[in-house]
Amino acid sequence: MTTPDEPSWEELMRAANRGEQRPYAQLLQAITPVVRGIVRARGSGLGPEGCEDVVQEVLLTIHLKRQTWREDAPLRPWLYAVTRHKVIDAFRARGKRIDLPVDDFLEVLAAPPGPDPLAARDMDRVINELDPRAAQIVRAIGIDGESAADTGARLGMSEGAVRVALHRALKSLANLRERMIE
Amino acid sequence: MRTEDLIAVLAADTAPQTTPGQRMLRALPPAAVLTLLALVMVWQVRPDLAQIMASPAALKTIVPSLFGLVTLWLGLGVMRPESRARVQWLVLGAMLAISAAVLGAVLATVGLSGLIAALDTPSLLICFLSIPLLSALPLAAIFWAMASGAPAHPRHAGIAAGALAGAIGSAAYSLHCPEDSLLFCLPAYGANMVIVAVIGGLLAPRILRW
Repeated sequence: MTTPDEPSWEELMRAANRGEQRPYAQLLQAITPVVRGIVRARGSGLGPEGCEDVVQEVLLTIHLKRQTWREDAPLRPWLYAVTRHKVIDAFRARGKRIDLPVDDFLEVLAAPPGPDPLAARDMDRVINELDPRAAQIVRAIGIDGESAADTGARLGMSEGAVRVALHRALKSLANLRERMIE
Repeated sequence: MRTEDLIAVLAADTAPQTTPGQRMLRALPPAAVLTLLALVMVWQVRPDLAQIMASPAALKTIVPSLFGLVTLWLGLGVMRPESRARVQWLVLGAMLAISAAVLGAVLATVGLSGLIAALDTPSLLICFLSIPLLSALPLAAIFWAMASGAPAHPRHAGIAAGALAGAIGSAAYSLHCPEDSLLFCLPAYGANMVIVAVIGGLLAPRILRW
């Protein structure tokens, strides 16, 4: 699936673990259509926006649990296991039970590339629950596309402090989400 | 928020992550040391401990320690979502089977009355109060470390956490325990480890949810 000049997912994740931002973004972008394909194949009842909520939930979990991947192991089995766990969890939280054998994942096709679908709604609701400073940082970097350094300069914080605040914000997003979606 | 935007946010968070193993290394040794300290200060070690440790009765400390090592290995194994930790479960199962077989063999010679006689001592109650108490701090440390993991089955991970904490509690209590007979230690320590493992399994779905 990978061509010689394209780094493998494992290489990208190893670079991400060393704190390299660009390969990590590249990896998340490559993973997203696969996750979206799985969620849509299972969750037609959720509608496109609902599916995108679940996709974002899976991405956030992948991010927060990435240290449980062992660098010498293939990434896909780990990725499928995380996705499966989170998809089941997300559907259960929405009152649906699904059966998701992990073997099926191999047959699910990635969602066709194209414009990013409608923005998901849940994440915005959860971001609104963050403390104002944290929400400001998340929006600045995500929606306005600012760098951590720019955000820091604007808010009178060091770049390091912005990154620490961002990391805490993402952890609280995951916790808040769990409480709010139920 | 668009998924593209979320990816930009996630990629900007380059804070290094700690693995459950690293957190275990950070939390478990201090918890074990404090537990031993509590044993020395509150329960007190047996005055003839050196003698006991040079005799076959040392097994009452060694065997729980072995269970501790295996359940630690198991606990770390189940932290990865794609791992079933089959080898670890098999080794643990084999150790349980051997323990059961040894107990069965001894029971075959002394009979149930022998077991009841061995357990009919006031130290049985102290044992059942002490081991769960001594396991509490290790259990908290283990759960703290495991909370950064991604177990496919949180309840199984909780059972492993409880078994490990119970093994540490038993090994610590064995330094105080006045009983040396296999007919006391094996069933009493074993039951206590099971109790703490069950507590771990009951708490896990809340604590290890991800």
